[in-house]
Amino acid sequence: MPKVVPWFALLAALIFLPHVLSFSQQEILVYLAINVLIVTSYRLLTLTGEWSLAHVVIMGVGAYASALLTKMFSVPVPVSILLGGVIAALVALVLSVPLFRMKGFYFLIGSFAAGEIIRLLWKRFREPFGGPKGIKGIDPMPDFSIGIYDFDFFEPISYFYFAAIVVAVCLLILWRIEKSPVGLTFHAVHWQDKLAQAAGVNVRAYRTLAFTIASGFAGLGGALLAHYVGTINPNSFDVEVMVFVLTWAIVGGTATFYGPILGCVTLTILNEVVLREMGFEQARPLIYGLILILSILFMPKGLESLVQKLKPGRKSAVPVERAAE
Amino acid sequence: MTKFLEIDALTMRFGGLTAVDGLSFTVDHGTIHGLIGPNGAGKTTTFNAISGFYKPSSGAVRLRGEVISGLKMHEVARRGVVRTFQHSTLFAELTVLENALVGTHMPFRPNIFAAIVGYDRHDRTGAEARAREALEFFNLAHLADNRAGDLSHGHQRALGMAVAYAAHPDVILLDEPFTGMNPEETRVMMGLMRKLRDDGTTILIVEHDMQAIMGLCDRITCMSFGKWLAEGNPDHIRHHPSVIEAYLGGARHVA
Amino acid sequence: MLEILAQTGFNALYAASYISLVAVGLVLIFGVMGVVNFAHGELFMAGAYAVVALYADLHMPFLVAVGIGLAFVGLLGLLMERALFRPLRDNPLGGLVASIGFLMILQSLAVMGFGVRMEHIPPVTQDVIAFSEKVRLPVARLYVIIAAVVLLSALWFFLKRTRFGWALRASAQDPEAAALQGISINQTARIAMFIGAGLAGVAGALTAPLVSVNPFMGHSVIITAFIVIIVGGVGSLEGAIIASVAYAFIHTVVTTFWDGVLADIVGLMLMLIVLIVRPTGLMGSADRA
Repeated sequence: MPKVVPWFALLAALIFLPHVLSFSQQEILVYLAINVLIVTSYRLLTLTGEWSLAHVVIMGVGAYASALLTKMFSVPVPVSILLGGVIAALVALVLSVPLFRMKGFYFLIGSFAAGEIIRLLWKRFREPFGGPKGIKGIDPMPDFSIGIYDFDFFEPISYFYFAAIVVAVCLLILWRIEKSPVGLTFHAVHWQDKLAQAAGVNVRAYRTLAFTIASGFAGLGGALLAHYVGTINPNSFDVEVMVFVLTWAIVGGTATFYGPILGCVTLTILNEVVLREMGFEQARPLIYGLILILSILFMPKGLESLVQKLKPGRKSAVPVERAAE
Repeated sequence: MTKFLEIDALTMRFGGLTAVDGLSFTVDHGTIHGLIGPNGAGKTTTFNAISGFYKPSSGAVRLRGEVISGLKMHEVARRGVVRTFQHSTLFAELTVLENALVGTHMPFRPNIFAAIVGYDRHDRTGAEARAREALEFFNLAHLADNRAGDLSHGHQRALGMAVAYAAHPDVILLDEPFTGMNPEETRVMMGLMRKLRDDGTTILIVEHDMQAIMGLCDRITCMSFGKWLAEGNPDHIRHHPSVIEAYLGGARHVA
Repeated sequence: MLEILAQTGFNALYAASYISLVAVGLVLIFGVMGVVNFAHGELFMAGAYAVVALYADLHMPFLVAVGIGLAFVGLLGLLMERALFRPLRDNPLGGLVASIGFLMILQSLAVMGFGVRMEHIPPVTQDVIAFSEKVRLPVARLYVIIAAVVLLSALWFFLKRTRFGWALRASAQDPEAAALQGISINQTARIAMFIGAGLAGVAGALTAPLVSVNPFMGHSVIITAFIVIIVGGVGSLEGAIIASVAYAFIHTVVTTFWDGVLADIVGLMLMLIVLIVRPTGLMGSADRA
């Protein structure tokens, strides 16, 4: 089975990589793992053709929910992270009722407005959201041991392993959804919603489904973040972060599953390794803005199109796995 | 006895314009029924009202006595009435097989939880078998892995029908199916439609070109300016004075 | 109570003045080019910083600074048209995303050039027209109101009475038909972009001494502008102006009697409700998205 070899190589690299990195680079690795989940779940949302600007705020819903659950109801952290995802999905489900009356540009603006309302609610209500200062002293993950490895969550390495496992499971689920008949229906809704309807597809239900699932995983990612950094506030989830997610997705390309991940990893390396080393850290939004513009002008299909040029043979935009089974 | 597909006093108004005005006719089970009329007679509007694309201003469409007008398109489809589209409306970015698989959405309803845990193998193989059967029926099996957008025009039309056929409909609504087909393709397609009918599927065809469906339909309804004009077998329609008048009148307008 | 209402009315009139300048520019750009300019708030910010640099730092006369600010931001608009919106003409979502990129760049440049601190700008005039003890209209605000009325009237005259304006309206209604009439799409796009951006810039320049100028001020401006153009009906200039006035009154009233954050929430809810009830806005008919 030579197919599994690259996966083992990746696994080995992920295990050993943090040991050769500095403390601050290990921290970046944690963020990277979470961001990969955010951008991949964002792609699922875009599969049905609607681009939301509320994704990062929904991620924040998961973060706030999980933080508050541990603070107010002493819910154990791993459970609260899961519940954070569930609550984010439920909030998205409620939001989808008004939002999916809109399409295209109106959906975009509507989702933007809905996200801003949520952020303003966090700002406005000191109880329980902590107002503009947000929530501080969020419980960390409790340490535990699995025999061969002791998770000590004071160390970023441990949290990276933990987050990477959670994210890997989530990616696997997202991957299976996309390669399933449900995923095919998402694509169908995107390319020709009228024809999909004629085939009996409840287009609105499928848009809602994609939005809800994507939001659930974003919420999970937000909860993972909250229990790592320990403090969150409304500005942790503002438009600038949303622009980063957009940039990752667009630079990577959204036609394939791996495109956004590629974009996220590439830009993070560029940002942390190149910019930080060169002392350009302050110019991050500038560079991101430039990259966003340049890639939409000159590489509208994203980095993945470069990869596909290198690969021999042409594939359909949506490879059908089951044809190979 | 309840009628199979009944269009009852159907009226469609857009603003001040009445596109369809109190149209009534019945499609019998297991027949190929043609709906014809000169340009602007309201055929396509009627078609869209039957398929749930429009909500009728008044009147009703009934399938086996159940009102289906006013339902959304996917709800109409779920009651067994599946339509095709006038132009080559396909999932151009997907493969031919994937197009047909979308068509199997109703008989093999996807379930997200089963998909995640991998408990839907039966449904997937069933759906693929059905999709391939549909492609086979319309002579598209050899193109299964091509991108739908790359197909020739005739093949695209055929695929549009294969997507509808894959859904196991009781009634197929075909919107000008022969447009853009060459005579050979038209002949083959007509053969397939007769076969479909003999298998028990009811077909309603909207067609602008009267000659193309004279040899195909069991019964034809002709409309003009939104109103019912005449109905009968092809021979009856061919010699009906009002029909000839309507078409000639239309031709004079064009000239 | 009556005095509070009168004072609120003045405050709202002032807010409506600069909001409508921003919103009308946004509508003009959307109407003619079919693209949503997310960077519009940052154009407003750029206008404000022109005043910071020229008036506060270099001590030029205020009106000169405002004039240069208008021209400068108008030129930024031309740059956006040529570099972003023209190559992405067939891709409205692409244009929108590119404008988000441009927003980041402008914001970042402002941070690098001026720092994140609030700018202190010497007031243009300290005069106040006092109608009573509690009803006072600062003359600086009156200037903004007058400027808005003058500029919007000029725009109205330009659109309804000149050949360029006719071309602009024609291509907003039907770009293809307009092209057949011999109207150059590139030219109308340039004019729309210059005017649209310039209006945002002049609004930012005029209000600079009255608000806290900082690199992130565009955020609330663009949200306000979105609310106004959605409520007023996308593509309708008159709708945008009417909605600006209505929004300014509601926002000012809620701010006066409750608080500013709640006023923002109310405004956004208003927009969501309009989007739900009539996704094309209360007065909109054209749907180019």
